[in-house]
Amino acid sequence: MNGEASGTIVRVTRMPKSWRIFHWVNFLAVFAAVVTGIYIARPYYQAMIAEPAVRKFVMGWNRAIHLYAAITIDVLCVVSFYLYFLSRFERPVRKLLPTREHGREFFEVLANFFTFNRRKRFDSAELDTFNAAWFTLLHLLLLFQLFTGLQLYVYSLESGLSSVGGWWPWLMHMATDWTYWAFGGRMGVRWVHHFTMYLLLAWIAFHVYYEIWRTVYWREGDIAIAFGGEKIARRLPGTAAE
Amino acid sequence: MRVFGRGEGGGSADGIGARTESEYEALRRRCEERLRALEAAEPLQQVHLPSLLRSEGMSRRTFLKWASATTALLFLPASFEKLVARAAAVMNRVPVIWVEYQDCAGNSEAILRADGPTIDELLLDVISLEYHETLMTPSGFQAEAQLEDALQAFRGKYILIVEGSIPTEDGFGFNGPRGESFLENLKRLSRDALAIIAVGSCASYGGIPAAYPNPTKAMGVWDIVKGKPIVNIPACPMNPANLIGVLLHYVLTGTLPELDYLLRPKFAFGYRIHDNCERRAHFDAGEYVEQWGDEGARNNFCLYKMGCKGPMTFNNCSIIRYNDGTNWPIGVGRGCIGCSEPGFWDKYAYERPMAGANIPVPGLWNLGIERSVDLLGVGLLTAAGAGIAIHAFLSAKYGKKSDEGAPGAPPKEKS
Repeated sequence: MNGEASGTIVRVTRMPKSWRIFHWVNFLAVFAAVVTGIYIARPYYQAMIAEPAVRKFVMGWNRAIHLYAAITIDVLCVVSFYLYFLSRFERPVRKLLPTREHGREFFEVLANFFTFNRRKRFDSAELDTFNAAWFTLLHLLLLFQLFTGLQLYVYSLESGLSSVGGWWPWLMHMATDWTYWAFGGRMGVRWVHHFTMYLLLAWIAFHVYYEIWRTVYWREGDIAIAFGGEKIARRLPGTAAE
Repeated sequence: MRVFGRGEGGGSADGIGARTESEYEALRRRCEERLRALEAAEPLQQVHLPSLLRSEGMSRRTFLKWASATTALLFLPASFEKLVARAAAVMNRVPVIWVEYQDCAGNSEAILRADGPTIDELLLDVISLEYHETLMTPSGFQAEAQLEDALQAFRGKYILIVEGSIPTEDGFGFNGPRGESFLENLKRLSRDALAIIAVGSCASYGGIPAAYPNPTKAMGVWDIVKGKPIVNIPACPMNPANLIGVLLHYVLTGTLPELDYLLRPKFAFGYRIHDNCERRAHFDAGEYVEQWGDEGARNNFCLYKMGCKGPMTFNNCSIIRYNDGTNWPIGVGRGCIGCSEPGFWDKYAYERPMAGANIPVPGLWNLGIERSVDLLGVGLLTAAGAGIAIHAFLSAKYGKKSDEGAPGAPPKEKS
């Protein structure tokens, strides 16, 4: 644990600067992808620009921003999976190992949430098993959006051409064609891609609520992690700071 | 799993896939050799193409214009025009058996246009059509005998064209005087066929008869026949030009055209309607028809919000159009219904704003396809919001903030 101890209160670093940058870039990219994605699914405003059609790209810009955001998310997703295994700061994958201790901690975090913090029997100074699983779920959802989204994108390159060469559509076909068969065709892929957006929004809603709730009830300044990277932690009696 | 973007199917795809000069030259030699052999062969049907064209008032120039367009349709360079014209004249050397199962005869109708037949349609008079229940004069046992004769005479050489879906539920779909089921009929006729061409969406994927709840358990040809070269020419109806393209490709090269992952010829289905749509600029610009007859409709805006499935549909109707290039659905101001895609009736064919469409999803309650996802999604968000609100309320009422002296909390800090 990286932090400084002060009696039984410790100040701990939970997110290094690079993680915080990834976090906020990810947030902005998801936000942009949702706003533009809804427009692509159902254009909710008209261009209303007094120019010929060929000189305004309202849908074109929405699609471009959606794809830029998607690529940003995809790259961050790859980076995140790398950090899960090989981060020098903390390797969340360790928390995902199905050990008895992790199972107990997962249950205790849930018990803490559902007893409204009347029971708290785990070390909140470090990444807990529940949050590790919750963050992993986010990355899996984003990965799923990557596969379904690229499938929706690549079929427009049916000619096999792209600005960067034929390898790019070929690679996308190889990686994403399974979604076509898995979800019963292109409309099915479109359906699950759109629906997964709602799962992501629900994920975000819970994430924001949970961090605020922890801040209010644990009184450890959890919400500050995303901004300053640090929080304070109250140690269980008998638990020594590292 | 099929991977898209490459030729498939039992038919060889080494014909019109040539790219370099030397490959084209090799292809030309092969085509010339094949045409010489066909021209030397005895015609199966005594139809003289120039006479037929003259009788319909078509000039040689009109025919050459058609040959030029068809050469382009097949992705061939202009130097192949004469070969295409020669191939059209020897199409009466190819025996064809056309059977019709569960459908509306729309594909037969498409090639029979009584009003001003095109050259594509006339060429279907040239081919040696040995059997076609809708067109032939004999019926009953006479028709059956003619079919048997054709099967014996052209065993392993005939092209079987199938129109209509095949019901696999017992008690549906019989034809002929002996009451043979469509399923058995297809299996019997496909056994000795050189290749099978499924025309229309019904024969290709089951089409409208296979729409939910599919009471006859209708299927497409490729679901039933295995181990034979199959070409699907879907759409509702298929464009006669695409059928002629496939037949001409066979006459010209002796092979079937390159196919996509749904066994559709790439020369016809390698294009997305959206990419060649005359209203595409309005799509990119964000100008949409909101309801029939509104300002957008009067200005030919994009029909995406009226349910147009052009962005998801592969077909060349935005290029070659229908009825000799007269017009096509989007040209007359209504959206594409994706009729050349599998399951189009359930998944694509609604002419209303996509998000508001209330077409039932097969097996998924009675919600609209687009609408269902939004209803489910908003429901999920509402449930999440309600759960959060309830938890926040209960936390405020019963929750305990970690504080000095609490279990697990540190001793009070000294100031």
